[in-house]
Amino acid sequence: MFNSNLNNMKYKIFAKIALAALLALTTWVSCKKDTPVDEDGLLITTRKDCYVSSFEILGTDFVSVRVGTAVIDTTAQTVNVTVQFGTDLKNLYPQFSLAQDCKLNPKITGKTDFSDLAHPRQWTVISGDRQVKKLYTVNVSVQPR
Amino acid sequence: MRTQSKYFNTAFLLVAALSLVGTSCKKNTYALPVAPDKLQDEAIKRTLGPNIVGQNIEFAYAMAIKPSKGKLVNCTAVASIAGAPGTYMENRSFYTAQTGADVGVTVGSPSVTSGTTTTVTYNHDTSAATLRYYYVIPEAARGKTVSIKFTATSSDGESISTTMGPYTIAVMDMKLNMAVSNNNLMYISIADSAVYNAADAVAHAASIDLVYLYRNLTTSAFNHALVAPAADPQYLPGVTLPAGVNRSAKMLKVFNLQDHNLAANEQFGGTFIDDIDFQKLDLTGDPNFALNLKLDAGVWVETADGKYRAYIFINSVNTAGTAVISMKRYALK
Repeated sequence: MFNSNLNNMKYKIFAKIALAALLALTTWVSCKKDTPVDEDGLLITTRKDCYVSSFEILGTDFVSVRVGTAVIDTTAQTVNVTVQFGTDLKNLYPQFSLAQDCKLNPKITGKTDFSDLAHPRQWTVISGDRQVKKLYTVNVSVQPR
Repeated sequence: MRTQSKYFNTAFLLVAALSLVGTSCKKNTYALPVAPDKLQDEAIKRTLGPNIVGQNIEFAYAMAIKPSKGKLVNCTAVASIAGAPGTYMENRSFYTAQTGADVGVTVGSPSVTSGTTTTVTYNHDTSAATLRYYYVIPEAARGKTVSIKFTATSSDGESISTTMGPYTIAVMDMKLNMAVSNNNLMYISIADSAVYNAADAVAHAASIDLVYLYRNLTTSAFNHALVAPAADPQYLPGVTLPAGVNRSAKMLKVFNLQDHNLAANEQFGGTFIDDIDFQKLDLTGDPNFALNLKLDAGVWVETADGKYRAYIFINSVNTAGTAVISMKRYALK
């Protein structure tokens, strides 16, 4: 009789511990992040595409100063763009279109100075899975008068 | 006990619901408003935007008294700073016809302005009228505030007043529709708010800030341009500057900033450039040229001596090499 009660009590304690463990496991699983985001709050995906798909460049009046289409070489990782004669190269707004889920580093937060033509500006394109990084060089040339 | 409580709650809810229904269905009785026995007035400011010296501030002042009490005798507007010549009050009260047009009905003699006071004396039996007052902002008010006190007097000896303002008068000034032309009226002085040809520019060389030029090139989009005399000569092709014209203004090109005062076409709506825009303007690092300017484009400018900031708006352009520009100018020092 005594042994039977003892076994019964042991069984109850075991059941409680198992239940608590199950609860903890459930909580842990439910709290686990299944949609990871990077330091910018952007979704990290599985995409490995990493390239510039199009490029635009605007003057201080937010009107395009581009002459013709920007030539993007995804192998050489260059963007070659010609801007109108008389463009103020110190105050331009570049605009990149990237492959899906990519991001750009450094971020473009305002006017960009392209006046040092000997040292073109560079940006790194980072893929959606944040594993592939490609350094693009933007070569600006000015249309002759 | 529990059952009793339940019944009590149900009954209470029922009474509350019925009272709500009763209240919401109650008929609101409407009574015609009764006009007060005393003389009444009301004023509104009709103009919008910054108050610029030389421009009008327009008010509409309404006054009324019961016909049984008397009639209107006169109306005065007293400005805290005397208005410039041209300040007046309408002696007509307007109503809007079915066509939408304002129709004036003469109610008094033409206004008389003496110093700060403008008066209209009624010469028709009038119980109610709305008179418009046009205050032309004088030079003396630049950068100060102005208030207008309207007073109506009735034949029973009553008078009533309303004070409007204070309104801040802008420091900036404005020059509209200056014609510029290639190889002729091409030297622009912001300090003088004027455009000169080469001969006159020599006499005003120290105040020439910009050169207007038009070049129709096949190799580039030069077109209409505003260029500082000290800019790289490649931006002044074929221009021989008059002696002493050598200043370097800073410029920032913008598009579609259609200031309501500068843009003749009123469809541009309620965008106004005011003193604060010039105060906050920072042209550090901006160039001294602006090429390929189109209709409705504009250029922020700061003169080389730092005395003026200006916004120049392109009202019209012509491929014959002419343009019409308008300018708002703010004195910094």
